[in-house]
Amino acid sequence: MSGPANASPGGPACAWTPSPIRTGRGIAFRLSALVLSAVAVIFVAMSGATYFLAREALLKNAEQSARTQAQALVQRIEARLAPISRVAQGLGYDLEDGLLDDAGILRRQRQTLLDNPEIFGTAAAFEPFGRHPDQEHFAPYTFRAPLGITHTNLGGAAYRYHAMDWYQIPRELKQIVWSEPYFDEGGGNTLMATCSVPFYQGQGDTRRVAGVTTADVSLEWLTRLVASVQVLDTGYAWLITKNGTYVTHPAQGLAFNETIFSRAEENHDPELRRIGQDMIRGGSRLVPLKSLHTGKPGFLVYAPLPSTGWSLGVFSPRDELFADVNRLALVSAGLGGGGFLLLAGLVAVIARGITRPLRRLCGAAREVAGGHLDAALPEVKSRDEVHDLARAFANMQASLKEHIRDLTAATATRERIQSELRIASEIQLGILPKTFPPLPGRTEFDLYASLTPAREVGGDFYDFFPCGHDCFCFLVGDVSGKGVPAAFYMAVARTLIKAVAESVAGAGRRRGADASGSEQRRIPDPGRILARANEGLSHDNDSCMFVTVFCAVLDYATGEVHYASAGHNPPVLLRAGAAPEYLPTHGDPVAGAMPGVVFSTDTLQLHPGDALALYTDGVTEAMNPALELYGEERLVKRLAALTDQDARATCEALSKDVHAFADGAEQSDDITLLVLRYNGAGPEGAETAGTAPDNG
Amino acid sequence: MNCAGSKQGAFYVLEVTGRMDALTSQGFETECLGRLEAGDTRIVADLGGLEYISSAGLRSILSAAKKLKAAGGDLAFCGLSGIVAEVFTVSGFAKLLPVFATRDEALNRS
Repeated sequence: MSGPANASPGGPACAWTPSPIRTGRGIAFRLSALVLSAVAVIFVAMSGATYFLAREALLKNAEQSARTQAQALVQRIEARLAPISRVAQGLGYDLEDGLLDDAGILRRQRQTLLDNPEIFGTAAAFEPFGRHPDQEHFAPYTFRAPLGITHTNLGGAAYRYHAMDWYQIPRELKQIVWSEPYFDEGGGNTLMATCSVPFYQGQGDTRRVAGVTTADVSLEWLTRLVASVQVLDTGYAWLITKNGTYVTHPAQGLAFNETIFSRAEENHDPELRRIGQDMIRGGSRLVPLKSLHTGKPGFLVYAPLPSTGWSLGVFSPRDELFADVNRLALVSAGLGGGGFLLLAGLVAVIARGITRPLRRLCGAAREVAGGHLDAALPEVKSRDEVHDLARAFANMQASLKEHIRDLTAATATRERIQSELRIASEIQLGILPKTFPPLPGRTEFDLYASLTPAREVGGDFYDFFPCGHDCFCFLVGDVSGKGVPAAFYMAVARTLIKAVAESVAGAGRRRGADASGSEQRRIPDPGRILARANEGLSHDNDSCMFVTVFCAVLDYATGEVHYASAGHNPPVLLRAGAAPEYLPTHGDPVAGAMPGVVFSTDTLQLHPGDALALYTDGVTEAMNPALELYGEERLVKRLAALTDQDARATCEALSKDVHAFADGAEQSDDITLLVLRYNGAGPEGAETAGTAPDNG
Repeated sequence: MNCAGSKQGAFYVLEVTGRMDALTSQGFETECLGRLEAGDTRIVADLGGLEYISSAGLRSILSAAKKLKAAGGDLAFCGLSGIVAEVFTVSGFAKLLPVFATRDEALNRS
């Protein structure tokens, strides 16, 4: 239904064609997507920040805790190692004081072992010949043997202890020295280390080293202790001596076999070497490191054991350190993701809730657009823009309905009018005579007329009728304007002219009979006919309509034609064997315009074969698509080729030619043609002509 | 169709241009009646610029002329040429109504 769209004030813009498939995304989707994207960005940013901050904090915490752990371990070890050096020192002090004889030394040593279960053995080694002038090596040694505490003297030709490290180094350095750990196969079959402390004799300048006391200590507990240190899951602790020798290490075969430097060399790890150097210098630091043992990255905390000069390392793997952070991140991601999904659902529900009335409205709009003007509109309860839209839409629907109602009514009215016009046109054509030839049996003349109506009702007409004795009146007229008024006026004009003509013919006959008897026949005067018709038509003609008429009367007995024109186009005279010519007229005015007009009558003699072609301006003013007029010249030319045709053929050929010329352009006026061809009075006609006055 | 007018002496001169057909001719009559109401009863229509006139145009002229005449005035024409002059001649309007060759003639008639 294109009517409402075309008729709406908005024009084509309002001709909305419903498209059931929307290619883009809906508002709900876009709203949700927008909100959720924003939330996702914020969430990721927050999670990221939290993760990194927590990582930082945790790292600091872990470092602190690693330091603390290392420190605690150092203290635990120190707590056991420090007394040992004091034990050796205590023995030394006693010897310096000279309070002990040889037996006293043994007693003292025995007591020491009894008091300190971790000490495996203790020695008091004197300078050569220092204790006994006859005895170069004197070093009473008390130790734990499988069967109990046993005494022995270490020195002798087989064991010249003065050259040994455990004696030589503390003696030279004049300080407490811990030996490298060693495996004591003879004694306890355990891992041992010896703490050596020098003791002196003499005062001031004469003070010199008198010997070295030692305490052997089993390191089993130490390795156990260090090995038992739990650093996260795979972290570990290890211990090196002053020389860098591993005392304990979780890696198999490292302890006592390798130093930190040899391991660094082996693995081409300069970083480890630097760490080792710092460690044996007594440094204490935290350094990032990749473990050679486990291959994991992490960091190492190392700290010295002050009493021995050894160094403790504690390695913490990074991933385990961050396990908490990662767990935290995982949990927060899980919570965030869950929250996000929840939010997504919520946003979707809200967005759909907002757009639901819009979608329903859209559906209703589609229905309305599809022609269902009574489609129910969804009720929008909210007082928002959608509500306004729904109201505006309802208004639109109402005015659309009204508009279409009006339009339907207007269309019906127009159709009624058109139908009435059509009827008027049919009546108009219906009252025209259509009997050809007009006087059956008469061969003196041949007449044919045609009227092709324009789309709009026009005012053309033609007429012909017998008019007095042997006379035949024929005429063509054209009423000004178009439509029903023109049709009415045409009907009136035609009827009036015919009535006037018949009346004039009757009067002429009577007058002729009265005045001059039968010796002269009178042809009804067309000028008079038009003048009388003009009086009738112009009377009370407020609308100022008028009609152009060419009216002629033929005396078919003689071929004499009397004619008059009321403002009509001059007809064409077709003389047999000569060029067509327009009949000169006097330029008398149209009929109906004003009363009191006089119309001149002219006379013309037709010879057999001559013809007259009457037409209306619908012929000469027929237009082709290029807006050219058919014109008088073309008419004459065309008629020149038709001089030997009968009336009907001439008429039809001319009509066809005008149509061909118009070439589809709309016909704006009626096209009327009337052709009369005079054949001459035959014997019958002559007889009739001769007898007519008698009959009258 | 366009009508442009001006007062010239005793006459009101209407210059008519364009086409005077069934669609536009009413305008001429309306214009003349407007002048009549304004008190101008003697109108000279200069049809020099008129390209075409149909029978409806003639009807409009006739109507205006009758009304002016009834009011004691008149409607004269000048400057006719071409098809318009032909229509005036053929239809006899040249006999019914005063027609002058030039505007001066129309204005300076006795």
